[in-house]
Amino acid sequence: MAERAAPGLLARWHRARRADGLALRRALPDRLLPLLVAAMAVLAALALAGATGAAILSARWSAGAASLLTIQVPDPDAPAASPPSTRADAVLAALADTPGASRVHRLDKAELAALLAPWLGQATEFALTLPAIIELHMAAETGAETGADPDAASLARRLATVAPGTLVERNAEWGARLGRLADSLHGCALLAVAIVAGIAVVLIAATTRAGLAARRMPIELIHAMGASDGYIAGRFARRTALLAFVGGLAGSVAALPLLVLLSRVAAPFAQAAPSPAPASPADWATLLALLRDTLPTPLIVTLLALAPAAATIGWLTTQATVRAWLRTLP
Amino acid sequence: MIRLRDVSFRYETAGASGAQAPVALRQVSFAVPQGGFRWLLGPSGAGKSSLLRLLALGARPTTGTLELLGTSIAPARRAALARLRRRIGVVHQDFRLLPDLPVFDNVALPLRLQRRPEDEVRDEVHAILDWVGLGSRAAARPPQLSGGEQQRVAIARAVIHRPALVLADEPTNALDEHQATRLMDLFRDLSGLGTTIVVATHNDALIRRRPAHALELAHGRLVRDG
Repeated sequence: MAERAAPGLLARWHRARRADGLALRRALPDRLLPLLVAAMAVLAALALAGATGAAILSARWSAGAASLLTIQVPDPDAPAASPPSTRADAVLAALADTPGASRVHRLDKAELAALLAPWLGQATEFALTLPAIIELHMAAETGAETGADPDAASLARRLATVAPGTLVERNAEWGARLGRLADSLHGCALLAVAIVAGIAVVLIAATTRAGLAARRMPIELIHAMGASDGYIAGRFARRTALLAFVGGLAGSVAALPLLVLLSRVAAPFAQAAPSPAPASPADWATLLALLRDTLPTPLIVTLLALAPAAATIGWLTTQATVRAWLRTLP
Repeated sequence: MIRLRDVSFRYETAGASGAQAPVALRQVSFAVPQGGFRWLLGPSGAGKSSLLRLLALGARPTTGTLELLGTSIAPARRAALARLRRRIGVVHQDFRLLPDLPVFDNVALPLRLQRRPEDEVRDEVHAILDWVGLGSRAAARPPQLSGGEQQRVAIARAVIHRPALVLADEPTNALDEHQATRLMDLFRDLSGLGTTIVVATHNDALIRRRPAHALELAHGRLVRDG
């Protein structure tokens, strides 16, 4: 007789675990829940990508714009207030003494033409005299830390003495607006992640309740025989956590191509041009290197955390659902 | 040991009418010492099943106090009740075997819930199945067994973990004369080893064969204790 033969240790352990009558494979089938969790994971991955992207854009725009002042000098070639230098040269000389300035750059003709191309086309000669455009880059540590925060108004007053009519525009104001926009996008993306997590909780709770209803008789029986709430809830929770982990993993993998595509589209706004994609990834190492180069590190980390997070949500939700259900028993 | 003081029990109200369910037990008081044996008698609807349900911790008294195996039930926490249930063996009238599990696993349930080693589980289950005459049916599933065989599986499951209290509701209904006698002998032996036993039955022949202290219920009241 089969039972009289002594089976291996692992086989006996497995047998003891599944022989309590709960039949969790039937209570919580191994297809529906992972599929639903995978769909949730794809949505969560996209929302997280949005959150990560918005955070990166916010940081870049804020940092970039805050450190730049744009100065317009009308009639740049006219003599300055103190000849023999021109107005543009006088402004450049004055800017060289600005505390915290890391770079002073006057846009040349080609750069000006490129700047005006959207409005004037690819012209190289203009009928009107264009103002000189000077970019004043401040050092990264400039600001509250050094006490040398560039004050556009005082700088404009100083430059007006050497070249009257010079305009100073502080890009930080635009940077702050863009930063607020990016922060809003970041918040919306996090809200979307929270909603997806909430839906996952509701979904797992409903699936668990269906499983409890399907296995009511054996649950009541082993409860009456002394199975603790912790034992029954633990058996259900481990099963749900496993299924949610599988679903989360599948969803993360399914979301990868979309995320790579989105990252490549967003790359020009966030960083230097992405590395070119190989025509066909030769091996896993190449593929991993491509992912590492394409996806921002925070997004890779959150993607790796999706499956464990899904498992944790599944475990906690099932524990709470089963324990609440068991409270209806004496 | 078992001690009831003025225990009344009413099932939870059910149905849209909100009408209260009738009182199943009224002011029942009695005590059974450790190792005591009691017949539980009374006509259908007298409250025998309700009393067994309370003793099996399947419900809590509506009023009164119930003390079981040294634990007062009313203030006990759920974890303590679960531990207490593991010291009780119940033979249900309708057997309550799990149809998906082989006989072996059905009988092994109480031991596995106590996390006993699998080697020990295997030896104990085979020993008890041999004793009830089902050693060759360990791999069968309950629906493949006759009523008498299912009852023997239920009895084996109720006593395999040597509980401190055995509650049996009509445990000989589907047994032949020989098996019924063997079961009563087993109960006598267990009682001698300190197990408290309460057996509800309508079987007068069985009661005559084994005269013992009886608790008799009528309309939810205890009308005889002796």
